[in-house]
Amino acid sequence: MSNEEVYIVGHGMTNFGEFYEKNASSLATQSLNEAITSAQISKQNIQHSYFGSLVTNSNAQSSVGAESLRECQIPTPFTRVEAGTASGAAAFQQAVLAVRSGLYDCVAVIGVENLSDFVNNSTIETILGSTIDYTWEFEMGGTLTSLYAILTKAHMQKYGTTMEQLASVPVKNHKNGALNSKAQFQKEISLERFLKAKRIADPIGRFDPATHCDGSSSVILASSDFISSNNFDNIVKVAGIGQGVDSLALHHREQLYTLKSTRNASQIAYKMAGITAKEISIAEVHDSFPIGEILAIEDLGLFPKGEGGAITEEGKTAINADVSVNTSGGLKARGDPFGATGIAQIIEIVEQLQGQAGKRQVENIEYGLTQNVSGTGVSTYVSILTREEVKQ
Amino acid sequence: MEPPKIWREKRNRYIGIGIECSDCSSKNFPYTKRCPKCGSKNVQEYKLSEQGKIIQFSQVNQTAQEMMLNVPYTLAIIELNDGITVTGQVVDIDYPQVRVNMKVRMTLRILAKDGNEGLIKYGFKFVPLD
Repeated sequence: MSNEEVYIVGHGMTNFGEFYEKNASSLATQSLNEAITSAQISKQNIQHSYFGSLVTNSNAQSSVGAESLRECQIPTPFTRVEAGTASGAAAFQQAVLAVRSGLYDCVAVIGVENLSDFVNNSTIETILGSTIDYTWEFEMGGTLTSLYAILTKAHMQKYGTTMEQLASVPVKNHKNGALNSKAQFQKEISLERFLKAKRIADPIGRFDPATHCDGSSSVILASSDFISSNNFDNIVKVAGIGQGVDSLALHHREQLYTLKSTRNASQIAYKMAGITAKEISIAEVHDSFPIGEILAIEDLGLFPKGEGGAITEEGKTAINADVSVNTSGGLKARGDPFGATGIAQIIEIVEQLQGQAGKRQVENIEYGLTQNVSGTGVSTYVSILTREEVKQ
Repeated sequence: MEPPKIWREKRNRYIGIGIECSDCSSKNFPYTKRCPKCGSKNVQEYKLSEQGKIIQFSQVNQTAQEMMLNVPYTLAIIELNDGITVTGQVVDIDYPQVRVNMKVRMTLRILAKDGNEGLIKYGFKFVPLD
């Protein structure tokens, strides 16, 4: 691999929620403009734009990037990257590779989704069905929620994980989300409310899944050359990236209590960063369902396998505890506009590394990690970020 | 629901047709032109075992519009007696009675309906063996 390092020099993000007054392009424009302003670079420096999005053609408009770039007056070529619910992280990693290869010195990455616009002839269940095996899971009656329910039951059966332990994941994330002014839900929810809610797919309750909403998030990436010829302070380096894969269908997996794609992606990313899981003090993980965060913290190697539930219940993943997990509120409280989620995770780690996270600030961070999952784990993207002192 | 897709998959979905590789003898579902294990094109149609057991399951209360007629239903991962695993619904049994390792057999049922006048999609589901 070349020696070209990749840096995050700017970021911007809309609030996440329901924005009936905005379409996907205007959301993307808003976050991209904010990212360019924060990077303090000229628009002409951007050589390529990567858009991460799962269903932006729900607005009956493909090539969503074209309209945003016209609005931003950035005449760059653009590429839309789709990787299911991990489209944001997939776009980020493609952009990192493009800079790392030496082809580009400065690129923009935009995650965007507008799920309030009703999808032509479709429903959210069908969109989510497209992220699992559409023919042999979804059309047989499987929904994303029911497959996560099966993962949940398998973990409960294997490790004795309890309903209270599972509910402690969203309770903690709502507590963190209450401190995040960009989050869709900025309030706490009691454990009882999670436990008493109606079941939508046993044992997953109505309040357990992350909500699917609207939003956009952007980052600007730059090469070492670009950094040295411009004045930057307080920048963040991409220390490692990794992608892991598993079978699309759950019924083709050897184990239902492990996300193999997460395990593999993190091992590749740790190796590239030259660190081990012990050096991660903050992580943004894919808690689209409570079991998602428990599987993540175990399979990323942050905590021993099988203990994720107990560890969460004991508060070891709270802000400034052993490992601060989902300080932003996670997908659960921040909301999940698919393509925008992966970039929002990156932005939370960037702000934490820069000491700009306000009441959510974690102390003494050297390395932070993001984990973005597609479907039930067919793909996982892990990215590791670190603080870089720039010599002026 | 797309007519060409339903037509294309009808043998796989109605009677459970996978493949058996003549070179490496591995059995796979769904039907593919090449063996996913060894890559050989020398594959034959193979009829899945009609009996198996439940590996893990859940009860679905919320699903896509065309499948709402079945709600609530039990969804399970089934390991068939030939070792092939599939996802399917377990019917003709109340949810509290469903257990891991319970023996089931394949049956043909309605999977989805596109409103009152649209297409009906059929496919295999499972019922308790006894």
